[in-house]
Amino acid sequence: MTDLVYLDNAATTTLDPLVLESMLPHLGGRRGNPSSLHALGSAARDAVEEARVSVAALIGARPEEVLFSSGGTESDAIAVLGLARSAPPDKRHVVVSSVEHAAVREDAMRLEREGFEVSWIGVDGDGLIDPDEFTAALRPDTALAAIIWANNEVGTVEPVRELAHQCLESGIPFHTDAVQAAGRVPIDVSEVPVSTLAMSAHKLYGPQGVGALYVRDGYSPEPIVYGGGQEKGLRSGTQNVAGIVGLGRAAELAREEMDERVAQERTLRDRILAGAEALPNVTLNGHRERRLSNNVHLTVSGVEAESLVLFLDSLGYAVGSGSACSSGGHKASPVLLAMGRSERDAFSVVRITVGKDNTAEEVEGFLAAFGTAVAQLRELSPLYAG
Amino acid sequence: MPDRYTPQVIEHLVRPRNAGEVPDPSGSGESGHEACGDVASFTVGISDNVLEEVRYKAYGCAACVAAGSALSEMVEGKHLVEAARVSKTDIEVALGGPLPVGKEHALTLVLDALHKAFEDHWNRTAGEMLLNGAKTRGNGGRSVVAAMSGGVDSAVTALLLKEAGYDVATVTFRLHDGERGSRSCCSPDTVLFARDTAHRMGLPHFTLNLKELFDKRVMQDFVGSYKEGRTPNPCVACNAHVKFHASAFLADEIGYHHVATGHYARVEDGPTLGRPVDESKDQTYVLWPVPQELLARTVFPLGEYRKTEVRAIAEERGLAVAYTPESQDICFIPDGNYRGFVRKKVATEPGDVVDGQGQVLGRHGGVVDFTVGQRRGIGVSGPTPLYVTEVRPSSGQVVVGRKRDLEVREVAVRDLNLFLDSGDAARVQVRYNSQPVSCTVEETTDGEWIAHLNEPVVGVAPGQSAVFYTEDGSRVVGGGVVARRAA
Repeated sequence: MTDLVYLDNAATTTLDPLVLESMLPHLGGRRGNPSSLHALGSAARDAVEEARVSVAALIGARPEEVLFSSGGTESDAIAVLGLARSAPPDKRHVVVSSVEHAAVREDAMRLEREGFEVSWIGVDGDGLIDPDEFTAALRPDTALAAIIWANNEVGTVEPVRELAHQCLESGIPFHTDAVQAAGRVPIDVSEVPVSTLAMSAHKLYGPQGVGALYVRDGYSPEPIVYGGGQEKGLRSGTQNVAGIVGLGRAAELAREEMDERVAQERTLRDRILAGAEALPNVTLNGHRERRLSNNVHLTVSGVEAESLVLFLDSLGYAVGSGSACSSGGHKASPVLLAMGRSERDAFSVVRITVGKDNTAEEVEGFLAAFGTAVAQLRELSPLYAG
Repeated sequence: MPDRYTPQVIEHLVRPRNAGEVPDPSGSGESGHEACGDVASFTVGISDNVLEEVRYKAYGCAACVAAGSALSEMVEGKHLVEAARVSKTDIEVALGGPLPVGKEHALTLVLDALHKAFEDHWNRTAGEMLLNGAKTRGNGGRSVVAAMSGGVDSAVTALLLKEAGYDVATVTFRLHDGERGSRSCCSPDTVLFARDTAHRMGLPHFTLNLKELFDKRVMQDFVGSYKEGRTPNPCVACNAHVKFHASAFLADEIGYHHVATGHYARVEDGPTLGRPVDESKDQTYVLWPVPQELLARTVFPLGEYRKTEVRAIAEERGLAVAYTPESQDICFIPDGNYRGFVRKKVATEPGDVVDGQGQVLGRHGGVVDFTVGQRRGIGVSGPTPLYVTEVRPSSGQVVVGRKRDLEVREVAVRDLNLFLDSGDAARVQVRYNSQPVSCTVEETTDGEWIAHLNEPVVGVAPGQSAVFYTEDGSRVVGGGVVARRAA
């Protein structure tokens, strides 16, 4: 497993040794609760507040507008459920894209069950939202709009700046899931008028189980957890101090190294894409230009996703699949279906996401393995005439 | 249940056995659909009932690819009977243990594809036989092909035969495109269920596609009967031309002697049909057309048991079928709406409702909506309840009368299938679920029998079966189709 080449960085990233180093003092030895008055409590509080400054700096926010959570999913839930539920009683309408991560999609479906009307905004074949359709969906009774900054499956970067401005003009709260975007796309909330923005540490070479939510001053989502009132009452419960410190350090490194990381990712991404597209009937999903620097998402005609992923795994390469096969049939990705893909095509996908530690040699090795796996699975496939 | 694949699954995924297609195969089968994300196909080369070549292809999750590969390895070189015995559990064992949760479907899928290839092989082998039916006397020996519908009776039949020391192969027939998940006995789910049941008993299972034969011999006759004012009995037509013939065909092909079904009846010396122990379940009335050559090689194990005992056996042996509901309806009309089914198949025109003197009493929507003895839906009221006494397709008339107008004392019977001499015929049953009545038989010159009934019987309809029994009522002399009320 140690010599597995890791190309599934959209799922999670390797913990940066510098991040680990920053966390260690908070994992061993004596420690305090950030809410305690004594010296150990103060030390813990200082560490959390220092991390808050680092996370705020990554997105151009003020530290007091950042709160910590257990991860991207919880941050999304606090924002989406919280903003909708705290809206005036006559605002019972929500606008959400049809390419959201499950975290936001399921929140919206929960709101539907609570009686909200949800407008699902469609996308084009590249997964890009049409700003005009978005604007047309906004209404006087709209409580919230939520659009993912960059899609986690196909990597398309949405026109969030434009959409957020539309909402600002209409006085509608706007949430964005920036879990994949943070650290790859420059984010400055002083220029992009989002109301809330969700982030996760483990997509940024930080620890799993910790995330952040930006909440612009003036917005007060209804909490989804009640208790000791930590994080301005929006996320009660003793903070995950070591995790938060790790997130802070990861955010700091991301800010410092972003240009360098992105440039390197692009080189590797483009090489993978060129190599893969050289094979017959392998096509790119997502927007070719407006896409994440680390994401290659492919339809491999005639090859089923899980088989391909496990085949590559056996050859030493870890990549992501876009569908889950379960009893009695597969479940196609709603994102790919929203992009107009057939179910058959939606089952035949693979997601390769590079990271800062990948090398050109690894990518060449991967392309050779990919060619072998695709050829052999196609040889076996009754659906590929090639 | 594990949450990940065994190393064996990955090994089969990366190095699949027998990938590809057999050129000029003896049979090919495919299961699954691209829109579901899994497709498996098998091609086989069969010679002297031995699977000389097996090749498979798969598009699907690792479980599907590996299960197909493992299955192909397990059956290659085997006799068909042994190959047809390989179960989902056997495949799991070959793959090093149970598949992860939610992946079990892969086993059903690849097994179904292989069995469809076998089915295709039988179809190619059978040619005219599966269309016109054939009857052979078998070869002797203690081996039996047991027909399995997926219900409790046929499952216990197979089990009892196995426990009695027979070599048992089971077979399920594909008879029509029934609706999936219906209560009907012939849906695709039922085929899968029957296969599972057979495999859990350690028995080989085959599927025969008899749709064409069934359509020609049973469904067309069913529809045609209504059109001609006759009352059809599709179960009788199936026993006359389909079920026993197809079982015997498979037995001949794999070198087995007997055929068996889960009917409640006995085979008596003659051979002829005898009443079962459980007289309330007696099915001799629908078995009369089984040709004597086939009856000679038939066993009905349930003839010795009561239905309650059969359920108890199923329960005791842990058969999942123990609690399946009784199938009551005609299998190809799962919703029970016969008229709707017939009306979809034939055009019918409105006509007159008349009394016995030909006086018009009203109008009706088409003769296919009526059978003799019917009381409901006539649309004409009288001082006493009215019944359909006759249907006249040529003039489009439906004749109605009082109940006593339905009484008959003579019945003309044609298309006879006889097991004993006409002299043995002392009683006749003319309706399902009714008691035989005493009669004397007169043979006409054109081969019909006129049954003179000792007491009047109500509701004798052309097209129904008339089955003759011996004096003590225990054995079937023969049966035929009611041609008309003789007087």
